[in-house]
Amino acid sequence: MEMLLPAIISGLLMGMLFALVALGLAIIFGVMNIVNFAHGEFLMAGMYTAFLTATFLSVEPLLTLPVAAMVGLFLGIASYYLLVRHLLKGPMIAQLLGTFGLMIFLRYLAMFIFGPDYKTLEHGLLIGKSIKWGPVVLSYSRLGTAVVSVIAFGIIYWLINHTRLGKALQATALDVEAAGYMGIDTEKMRGLAWGLGGATVGIAGALLTNFYYVFPTIGLLFCMIAFATVALGGFGSIKGAFIAGLIMGLIIDLGGTYVGPQHKFALIYLTYFLVVVFRPQGLFGW
Amino acid sequence: MGTLKDAFSFGDLPASERIGFVLFIIFCLIFPWFWGGFAQTVMIKFLLFCLYGLGWNLIGGYGGQVALGQAKNVGMSAYTVALLMVWWDIPFWVSTPLGVIVATVESFILGYFLFRLRGHYFAIATIAVSLVWQQLFINWDLIGGARGVELPLKKTPNFLYMLFDSPIYYHYFAFLLVMGAIFYMNWFRKSKLGYQLRAITSSEDVAESLGINIHWVKVKAYCITGVFAGMGGAFYTVNYNYIDPFSVMHLELSIMIALMTMIGGAGSMWGPIIGAMILIPLDCYLGAWLGGSGIIGVDFMIYSMMVMVIAAYEPKGIWGIIEKARRRR
Amino acid sequence: MALLEVIDLTKDFGGVAANDHISLEIQKGEIIGLIGPNGAGKTTLFNCIVGYHRPDRGTVRFKGKDITGLKPFQTNREGIGRTFQVLSISGDLTVLENVMIGSFCRTSDRPTARQEAFEILDLLELEKDAEAHLTELPVGTQKRVGLAMALATNPELLMLDEVASGLNPKETEEMVTLLQEIYEAKGLTLFLTEHVMEVVMPISKRIIVLDGGQKIAEGRPHEIANNERVIRAYLGEKYVRGRKDRGSI
Repeated sequence: MEMLLPAIISGLLMGMLFALVALGLAIIFGVMNIVNFAHGEFLMAGMYTAFLTATFLSVEPLLTLPVAAMVGLFLGIASYYLLVRHLLKGPMIAQLLGTFGLMIFLRYLAMFIFGPDYKTLEHGLLIGKSIKWGPVVLSYSRLGTAVVSVIAFGIIYWLINHTRLGKALQATALDVEAAGYMGIDTEKMRGLAWGLGGATVGIAGALLTNFYYVFPTIGLLFCMIAFATVALGGFGSIKGAFIAGLIMGLIIDLGGTYVGPQHKFALIYLTYFLVVVFRPQGLFGW
Repeated sequence: MGTLKDAFSFGDLPASERIGFVLFIIFCLIFPWFWGGFAQTVMIKFLLFCLYGLGWNLIGGYGGQVALGQAKNVGMSAYTVALLMVWWDIPFWVSTPLGVIVATVESFILGYFLFRLRGHYFAIATIAVSLVWQQLFINWDLIGGARGVELPLKKTPNFLYMLFDSPIYYHYFAFLLVMGAIFYMNWFRKSKLGYQLRAITSSEDVAESLGINIHWVKVKAYCITGVFAGMGGAFYTVNYNYIDPFSVMHLELSIMIALMTMIGGAGSMWGPIIGAMILIPLDCYLGAWLGGSGIIGVDFMIYSMMVMVIAAYEPKGIWGIIEKARRRR
Repeated sequence: MALLEVIDLTKDFGGVAANDHISLEIQKGEIIGLIGPNGAGKTTLFNCIVGYHRPDRGTVRFKGKDITGLKPFQTNREGIGRTFQVLSISGDLTVLENVMIGSFCRTSDRPTARQEAFEILDLLELEKDAEAHLTELPVGTQKRVGLAMALATNPELLMLDEVASGLNPKETEEMVTLLQEIYEAKGLTLFLTEHVMEVVMPISKRIIVLDGGQKIAEGRPHEIANNERVIRAYLGEKYVRGRKDRGSI
């Protein structure tokens, strides 16, 4: 019983990060119905950016967030204009192959540049400290991550629903032809969607660096988590991504506590299956 | 009788392709006389991947379903063959069919559930399954876990257990398997199942309106792909004499098989062979060249770049480019 | 016993009743036309019968057997064939191969399937296009290929989804003749949904009219042409009043 409360809290905190990770994927899928296999690699890029900036420029890790966001933005936009734009003209198989190729490319590029070793951050505002709240010990890093995740999520939510730009994005998502007739530059919108997706997950990566190992193959793991979360929440639903993220966090932490930590990954995959096989539209999707 | 005729007759293909095929056969037959050593190893690996690719082409090419987890089929069959030999001294010719059956049954059950998914969902799910299986095998002490399984030594040459000293035996064995695969694919593309599969890839709605049970056809195709992968796994076991979850069930293997076939030309008869012809020597020689220097990742970077280019400009792969050039003349 | 019975069929889409308590009967050997303004629910009805959608309420019976909710491949095996408005098949397969897929529905033997496919191509005067790829052919020919594919599955009831759309006047005439030919040659029952009146009016024995999800009229072609409700549905109230004033209704 005493394991339950900490697991729940920890799960919810991680869940907020998962929600952020899933958000990027949900935006890209919502705007142009293509699934970004390389999503996890964008996260990985954010992590490495944060790690390198913090380590080599001796900067407080939290301050690397904007840098990671920029890198993610750049990666996303570059991916769109160099690759995805061409993929959209082809059949679905080509789109799948293409973003899959991108994933493999980034994954092994990272391995090539950084080597396979696991790296961690040693110093930072959030690192290594925790506070005690009743029976629960909360690490600063997870708390901080959760807080920033929620803020980031909120900002993007506001951006999409309450700004002209966001409305333009939504329009492109709903009907790209009609949006074009309305004078919206749909190409730019699509590039923006990718950029936004990349930036979002770049920030998530930077946050994650505060308490998780950094290594080149981490992308696949979070890609799975992102997929499972978005599938659970419903492709295209931002609200769904948030709730599903929380649920995912709970599943992983509670599962890890009660079933065993080495089965955490199996739990992710299992959740993914159950969702896509038994409720393909997710909780809130269209 | 009609079946055999379908399998062996290439009459509907242009003369250039038939000649190319004959040259390929001749090349494979005379290869061991001229080359040995490392080149021989590359050749055998090439033939093995032809087998994998021809199999993957069924579900991934003709079927249009990007299955990214064939390594599990390779591994399950490999382990069956290895363990049966180690535990109960069972000959290759008995354990291999069993291994293939194991892989196929798993594919059947998995396919039944997974083919409710479309496109991307399906692809990710196949990766996930393969990873889960690999994890399972790594943690499963009964079958050796991470330590793997080593085949016992036997007096060679041994046709009962398919264990030989000289790679020449393995070369011809692999060649026979590839020939079998080619003749099977030649029959398949003219068969009812082949047509139905291609109809589904073309348009599922139209296919369904023509009386095709889409789900069932996909499952069947997926199982057949599993058979090819299983055969390859069995071959690998007796060729290398040692298997572990990192060498027969790894994600890179699944990726390699898929990428290779796509680059060569998924959905065409010769695409997988062309893909293997390009990627396998590249992989081996690149690996040999870089291996010592400790640089990793370059190989997959190159392959993935090729895939991205192909996906963006010619999804039908190199074979697609060849066909387009031919049509222009 | 009617060949096809649709009883009280209702299908909702997000709160809108695309099909609202529709009932109809088709006897063997009839040619029935289904018309109505855009959005009337014609395609939905089609899809519910064929099995692409599952109706929310109501029953579909074919040759006395309840086929409600069966999937398209199952209804096809029962004997219902359909054509598509837009044949979105890739250019990989030749015309002959496409038709063979239909033939493979009835046989597993390739030579037989090939033979039967050729016969169908003959009937539709497509023999010379046998080795062509669909994407190379003009729209009119593509439509005939679609017809051929559906016919290859040997249906008793052939449902045609706007088979005349996108055809020029000459092609439309040819289509009418073609439909008559295959109707007689294969002893089919035809159910066409159509916008092009030049096709549906001359050949249909009966016409059913949908508007706003409901069946608003049923009768012989000339009755329908003068039916006030039908005119109102297509042309609006003003035109009805206009004709009434002139005494033509």
